[in-house]
Amino acid sequence: MSITTTTTPPFSFPREYSFPPFFTRQTNLTTHHAQLTKWASLVLAYCRHHRIFKLTLSGIPVTSSSSSASANEPTTITTTSTTPQQQKNELFHNSKINRRLSLADAREVFDFLRKDGRAEYILSNNKDSSFSAAPEGGIGGVGGGGGGGGDVVWVYWRTPEEWAALIEAWVEQTGQKGSVLTLYELTEGDTTCGTEFHGLDPDLLQKALSILVKRAKAQIFGQEDSQGVKFF
Amino acid sequence: MFLKQIDLTTALRPSYLPDEDLLFVQDNVGLYEGKYKLPSQQNGQVYLTSHRICYVDKAEPRKHSVALDLKDVERYEFYAGFLKSSAKITLVPKAAKRSSLQVWSPGVASNYSRSATSSPAQRTDSPVRSPAVDQPQASTATWVCTICSFSNPVPSNFDPSTANAHTPLPPCLACGIKPTLTHVLKAAISNATSRQPGPALLTPLPIRPSPLSEFGAAQVQMPDSPTSLNAPPRATDPDASFQCPRCTFLNHPSLLACEICGAPLISHDLPAEFTQQTRSETESPGPFLLSPLSAVPAGQDNVESIKLSFRGGGEKIFYERLKGSMTQRKWLLQGAPPIPRSSRAGDSLNGGSGLGITTGSESPAERVKIAGIAGLERRGQAMRKNNELVIGSAFEDLEALMASAKEIVALAETFARQVKGGTGGSNASENALLAESASQLGLITTKDIVGTSGGGESLYLSELARNLAEFLTDDRRGVLRKAGGIMSLVDLWAVFNRARGGVELVSPADFEKAANLWEKLELPVRLRTFRSGVMVVQGRDRTDEHTIKSLLSWLADLHEFPPDREVAWDWRAFGRGVTARDAAERFGWSIGVAEEELEMAEDRGVLCREEGIEGLRFWENFIDTGEGKAYDPVKEEQDKIVRALRDSGFI
Repeated sequence: MSITTTTTPPFSFPREYSFPPFFTRQTNLTTHHAQLTKWASLVLAYCRHHRIFKLTLSGIPVTSSSSSASANEPTTITTTSTTPQQQKNELFHNSKINRRLSLADAREVFDFLRKDGRAEYILSNNKDSSFSAAPEGGIGGVGGGGGGGGDVVWVYWRTPEEWAALIEAWVEQTGQKGSVLTLYELTEGDTTCGTEFHGLDPDLLQKALSILVKRAKAQIFGQEDSQGVKFF
Repeated sequence: MFLKQIDLTTALRPSYLPDEDLLFVQDNVGLYEGKYKLPSQQNGQVYLTSHRICYVDKAEPRKHSVALDLKDVERYEFYAGFLKSSAKITLVPKAAKRSSLQVWSPGVASNYSRSATSSPAQRTDSPVRSPAVDQPQASTATWVCTICSFSNPVPSNFDPSTANAHTPLPPCLACGIKPTLTHVLKAAISNATSRQPGPALLTPLPIRPSPLSEFGAAQVQMPDSPTSLNAPPRATDPDASFQCPRCTFLNHPSLLACEICGAPLISHDLPAEFTQQTRSETESPGPFLLSPLSAVPAGQDNVESIKLSFRGGGEKIFYERLKGSMTQRKWLLQGAPPIPRSSRAGDSLNGGSGLGITTGSESPAERVKIAGIAGLERRGQAMRKNNELVIGSAFEDLEALMASAKEIVALAETFARQVKGGTGGSNASENALLAESASQLGLITTKDIVGTSGGGESLYLSELARNLAEFLTDDRRGVLRKAGGIMSLVDLWAVFNRARGGVELVSPADFEKAANLWEKLELPVRLRTFRSGVMVVQGRDRTDEHTIKSLLSWLADLHEFPPDREVAWDWRAFGRGVTARDAAERFGWSIGVAEEELEMAEDRGVLCREEGIEGLRFWENFIDTGEGKAYDPVKEEQDKIVRALRDSGFI
């Protein structure tokens, strides 16, 4: 838990981040496209750097504690607490030059990411009923995200498919085919320390695993709180 | 060569000579030489001016445009067209070494050669005439008094081409009311034109004029003064009285004018053949021998005759105005001495202006020389009186005004100078502009100048377009340059109409249409429409690229010079944002234009915008710099592989 926080150096923003017009929606289509592209890569780089999986539209990272029953609360808390409160939305707000990306423009950036499969809206009711997403969370989330316009967004700096491939490769490498692992073990266990998916958001893990299930590479079983997965 | 190459203005119109007036424009005209078409001059516009006929080729104006001087035209004929053959006007040139009968026959173009070939008999006969030998002798005309309808003879020294408001006119012989200048002018001109068919009879021989010419009036023979009238022995035929052709009163043969009605009495004692013979011999004996060709009645087989073929109509008006301009012979004025001001002024002071027949030959000795303050005062008084006279007669009616336009303009300019001096020269440049434009009034295209038949409207518009282009590119005015090389169409409209001096204003609709023609006519200015619909006028060479280049170099400068106040960003890297106001100040544009130009540059992706509480600012585009391709799927893939390799290596 403390590894991520201590080893995280401050994110180095690209040059455009301190360029005032970068925060204004450009009217020229070409420039606008370039602007979106730059914002998109900035968002992805920023989230990858800080290992953020969900963002609000104002650019504040969302911890998965509220939406998931998994016991990874300490991690997310530390992640958020590393950054002081006023800098939480530093992604879309450059306090140094006092420029801020408006909500509508941020939505546009996420829309742009979504077209690339790099982002997905989370239905707002996800927050309220925490377990509605849990049983078949991945598929439900995908369906909901497609049409929804919630103000929380998955940021896929790795898509669920990529996560699934990573997990599969790791299972193969460590020779754990046929064995049963709990989801908690997968993301928080000592064995996965150092892998990319260590500390993965549980909902995202669900999505990734459900892809493997679809490919008949794994099977998920168990109860709400203590789910297990068996790899084939 | 009859046809000469001409210079064209930037707007592909003929450049005018001083004092030249544009009279008519007609498009879709082809040229013939003799009977054959000139291959490269088959479609173009013809400009009739007071001095020339200019042909401007449509396809290759710079190469194939020609002109011919009206003073070289001996005769012109009208051909109305038949079936597929379009109407034509034939212009027969004066042969350089030929002046004879043909010179006489048109009657209008005869002034030059007549004085050159005037017979010795004339000189010996009436020496008084010699100073006034250039005076036209179309004086057999009569003008009908508007008050008492008495037919007065037009004074012999009255020349329609040089007459102006200062030319003294004798009052009506019956009622003593002075005629208007135009009245006499019209009479003289109509006389001159109607004389064309019949041979003019202007011989100063001491014989009674022939009855052949109904205009051969006795008045011809009293050139300047009563003395010369009485001088020639006249009563060669003391037989019976003869009838006045107008009122049938039987007059005494020695009378020159009818006793009852005052009509000139025509002579009856010489047969027509004889008169003609006499004339041709006395007037021009030499050329007759030199070139027997001149006896050929018309120049039909003259190869050099030029035909204008009017395929788009307009030939009638052209012909009419050509006639007018051939009659007026304005080209004579070019070298003509100015109007004898001093003598006239003296006359008017003495109150004798009405009756005195003042000519240029009046001796300067008559003038009273007064020195000192009295002289100055007297001069000032004379000047004022003179001005009063000029203005009074010029504004009597429109045609009189036109006849003395030159003087009035000159007068207006001096007044303007005086006014300028009085107000302290605050609007000196404006006055100068107005005065200048007034002098160019004659060159302005108006609707009645262009032909109306066929594509009359479009011809008017294209002429207006050329006119505008000339106006814009005129270096003396520098209209466009003053506005930073770009000005909105509305501004131009206002300036242009003002330059026209408040007459012949152009409607906004016509103006816009004309401006739209610039592109098509390949004129050096162009009309640009911005996205917002604002239309501006620019030089053709001022392209968007040009503007962008200057914008960028300006923005690049801002990287070098620190901004006025502290800014949060790195101004060395990004420079700073500029508003439309800044750009307007920097380039001398109007704000609207600056906005449009900046947005144009933004459209091109050269600038980008920043909307803030301070308003809209434009920056160099650091957003779309090409390095935005970092988010490239391929590169991302490579990144991933590298990362995966490294990760797996660590594990």
